[in-house]
Amino acid sequence: MTEKEKRILKRRLKFLLIHVAIVVAAAVCVYPLLRIFSVSLRPGDKLFSTDLSIIPPNATFKAYSDLLKHTLFLRWMWNSLVITLATSVIGVSLASTAAYAFSRFRFPGKKAGLILLLSSQMIPAGMLILPLFLMIMKLRLMNTYLGMIIAYSVSSLPFSIWILKGYYDTIPRSLEEAALVDGTSQVGAFWRIILPLSTPALSIAFLFNFTTAWNEYLVARVVLFSSQQYTWTLGLFELQGQYITQWGMFAAGSMLVTIPVLAVFLYSSKWLISGLTLGSVKG
Amino acid sequence: MDILRSVYQVAGFIVLISLGVAVLEGYFYYHFKYYARSWFFPAALTVFPLLALAGYYGVTWEHPLRVWAYFVAAEALVCAAFRNIVKGRNTLPYLLLAPAFVGLALLLVYPFMFEVYLSFHDLKLTTIMMWKNTGHIPFVGLRQYWNVFTTSPLSEVSFWALVGRTLVWTFSNVFFHVLGGFALALLLNNSIRFKGVYRTLLVIPWAMPQVVAVLAMRGEFHATNGFVNIVLGRIAAAFPFLAHLGVGPVQWLSDYPLLTCTIINVWLGIPFMMVVILGGLQSISSSYYDAADIDGASYFQKLRYITVPLIRPVLMPALTLGTVWTFNNINVIYLVTGQAGGTEQADILVSALYKAAFTYNRYSYSAAFAIVVFAMLFFISVFYLHGFDAAKDER
Amino acid sequence: MEKIFLLTVLLAATAACVRPPADDPKHIVVWEQEDAQVAPYIDSVFRAFEKLPGNEGVTITRTHYQTEDLRQQFQAASLAGVPPDLLLGPSDTAGLYAISGFIIPLDGMFDFSKFNKQVVDAISLDGHIWGVPVSNGNHLLLFYNKKFIKDAPKSTGDLFSFCDKNSGEDKLESCMAFDSGEPFWLMPWLGAFGGWPIDGRKPTLDTQAMRDALNFYLYLKYDKKYIPMECDYNCMDSLFKENKTAFIINGDWAISGYQKQLGRNFGIGLIPKLSQTGRWPTPMVSGKYFTVSAGVGPEKMEIIKRLLNFYTDYDNQVRQYKELTRLPALKAAAAAPEITSDPVARVSMEEIRKGRPMPMATEMRAIWDSARNYMGLATTRKMDVDTAVRRMQANAVKKIQEMDR
Repeated sequence: MTEKEKRILKRRLKFLLIHVAIVVAAAVCVYPLLRIFSVSLRPGDKLFSTDLSIIPPNATFKAYSDLLKHTLFLRWMWNSLVITLATSVIGVSLASTAAYAFSRFRFPGKKAGLILLLSSQMIPAGMLILPLFLMIMKLRLMNTYLGMIIAYSVSSLPFSIWILKGYYDTIPRSLEEAALVDGTSQVGAFWRIILPLSTPALSIAFLFNFTTAWNEYLVARVVLFSSQQYTWTLGLFELQGQYITQWGMFAAGSMLVTIPVLAVFLYSSKWLISGLTLGSVKG
Repeated sequence: MDILRSVYQVAGFIVLISLGVAVLEGYFYYHFKYYARSWFFPAALTVFPLLALAGYYGVTWEHPLRVWAYFVAAEALVCAAFRNIVKGRNTLPYLLLAPAFVGLALLLVYPFMFEVYLSFHDLKLTTIMMWKNTGHIPFVGLRQYWNVFTTSPLSEVSFWALVGRTLVWTFSNVFFHVLGGFALALLLNNSIRFKGVYRTLLVIPWAMPQVVAVLAMRGEFHATNGFVNIVLGRIAAAFPFLAHLGVGPVQWLSDYPLLTCTIINVWLGIPFMMVVILGGLQSISSSYYDAADIDGASYFQKLRYITVPLIRPVLMPALTLGTVWTFNNINVIYLVTGQAGGTEQADILVSALYKAAFTYNRYSYSAAFAIVVFAMLFFISVFYLHGFDAAKDER
Repeated sequence: MEKIFLLTVLLAATAACVRPPADDPKHIVVWEQEDAQVAPYIDSVFRAFEKLPGNEGVTITRTHYQTEDLRQQFQAASLAGVPPDLLLGPSDTAGLYAISGFIIPLDGMFDFSKFNKQVVDAISLDGHIWGVPVSNGNHLLLFYNKKFIKDAPKSTGDLFSFCDKNSGEDKLESCMAFDSGEPFWLMPWLGAFGGWPIDGRKPTLDTQAMRDALNFYLYLKYDKKYIPMECDYNCMDSLFKENKTAFIINGDWAISGYQKQLGRNFGIGLIPKLSQTGRWPTPMVSGKYFTVSAGVGPEKMEIIKRLLNFYTDYDNQVRQYKELTRLPALKAAAAAPEITSDPVARVSMEEIRKGRPMPMATEMRAIWDSARNYMGLATTRKMDVDTAVRRMQANAVKKIQEMDR
């Protein structure tokens, strides 16, 4: 065996090992999802089984058809989608401008502002229930989506701003400066140069807004009272009683709600890596 | 038809909120432009509070004399700030930041002040009706804070031991998030086939709704029906010598509840770190590695002297956020150890806090507790950020 | 920029057009925390009530919450001054609402003598009655699989000899299953050993009976391995549904589900008499109740009275049993031929008579919590029974003191 053959063999072996390692990791990541799928196919509302096969004996789609026929599940998913989309659009727009200010300007209070963003994540969320409830009642926002949309888009702002600021920081200033020399305003430069270049980070911010709003439970629980207006998170827990939970339908619902999020992840996966650059506080 | 209505609805919400933002921007714009004019101060003091009042009345239908006074005071403060501190400088960045920060203030400042108020008073099961009827509860000064530090919310663990447990929980979680994320990112950073597919599969724990993911993982740790124990049992049966070494099914949830929570939370958190680190790895120019190759550096030397230092600026913010999120993570513990309250063996600060607040209705005590938790996190983050700045200066 | 001012005015004007809903005495809001399959029954009664003559214009809205959510939301809503009018749920949280003044005592408004005494006792606190019972029970029973055994064992001796015979054959994963982590499942045995967790408002956990009950668990779990090493509600439920255990101790709420799943093999019996002491286990008995929130006006109260009397009348109580297999709280309905002729109902009624009312005092929260924690430590052998029982008591006392801090 020549030296070169040896090197190729070694290289192949290395890649084989990498593939094996990743496949094992991927299996660990996917397996629980498959198990939920298996619960959703199992007759008789059994959460547990010693049976490890993914397709259980007497598999049936009854849980899915029950869920769609006897509950308002599609309606709930649709409500969630409406809220989530509005939230994402508003959240990303607000974050994109704020992040630009943090990235390109020096002004008093800049560092304090960034730290404030971080501290907003530090209050234990459950403690906000009571004051939030009082506020919602006062402003008569119960049973409306408006309050929820505002709350959601604001609550994911800190993270979005961090991502976007980090990304803007990597775009050379010379690009804007050239435009400014040509007589474009600062806002124009932001709109025409920075934003189009930031597609990866914007889509990550969108993704983040989407998943948080889609999965949110606390605020929804406080605001919404009528099952017609429920989001899916509230709806899914409608299936859970003090002791008895309809696990078949619960799992079927879980599968259905995972699909949109996976779709959004899949769609943005090409930007996922390059877009998630958290900015520094100092910079 | 429903679909059309919903599209209309989404658009409506966006328009409505944009209008709100426009109003806000207009408000600040006037302040930036005219703050120095002599007519501005009285004009602002009459016009803006009245407008705000109209809006307030429209929403709440309350007679608003006291509220009007608040608005006037607030407007006076804003005007004074513009006159003496801002002085019309930095118009653009402040205008860009205004909507985001006003939103944050609306959502967080009132609840935070509310908690601070509660923490100095005494709201509990027996005073709650008094508070509702009269709007007053006894002022107790720092007693609630004293209680936080001297009495433990748990029975077997003192407050300081609980702090220690929370720190161990936080740092072990974050450590394994980074370790796992780093390993996977290094693997993915090779030019291999199916990279896109792998990447998608590996982020599934992050993409799944957390409630669903945690419940699924909890099932896998079940003593008799969980995947982990079934596999452990089979391994022990197939290799008896391993069974002698103690390999075998484990009562995960009753014997090691906190460990189980940690494993599940690590599983949940790795994908996020992986993505962050992978982004960092891809931004490292290959010329560094080429130069190191010429010097004959080994793989681990390259890792130690090139990859790690260059990843650090990307990693530090993620670490800070990860620490804050893990410290406050209630979902995993709540869902894993049982919604009825579970045993206390897996409680960390925040879950003990929620028990005090919701099981025992000790509102004031838990408000003080929440503020202590907040202060701790703030301290830890400042420490991190300091470390981050130091790292930056090193380069 | 003038445009923006214009818009502000417009916005304020539109906001002003959204009138707040006035509190309509004919609109009744009910919050419940029932299992999902009960919802259609509740709704059907409400719809029937709305159609009765004299109830024109009455509307009833039902909202479902999870147990913990209901408590938080109800407290927050009560503080904000917008509570629902009625709550439907078990008695354990009612004590809390009674103390904080969120619900009103109902003595004198309803005729409570027509209800079963035990179920009324379970909603009595400080000499007042706080809720209208709609069902009786919520108690634990023994269910068995007729595939493995023909008749229910009469005593734990019988039960254990069956288990000894059937454990070696690999037929059963475990002989018997119950939620060994929840103190609610310990109470029948505690009673059989002669103890009870609370006396008036004082916890009585540090007793020989508690020691015996915990040792009994250890005996079942480690010495005899009759029950699984670790088993929560879903675990025991799955074991029983998959024919992997012969016996399960579970509440009356599970009856209809097991009847459906096991069909002819479904068996029901009393929790067997404890051979050691010769006493019957005493499951906690309560029921489901309507409680009325404070601040309901007199006009609305009239409608509510009619509604609750309608909900608990003879016909509805019997129908409730037929559809949900929940025993009636109404004495007259409990004697109805439809119920006395049903063997399942007979057994369930008998178990209720052996049980004791579930205490409503708020102190129970601290007791549950403390018992759960130390029971967990003792039954996983992390703490010896003696220490666990002493600390269980000490800690419950401490928690009760802290509630007032």
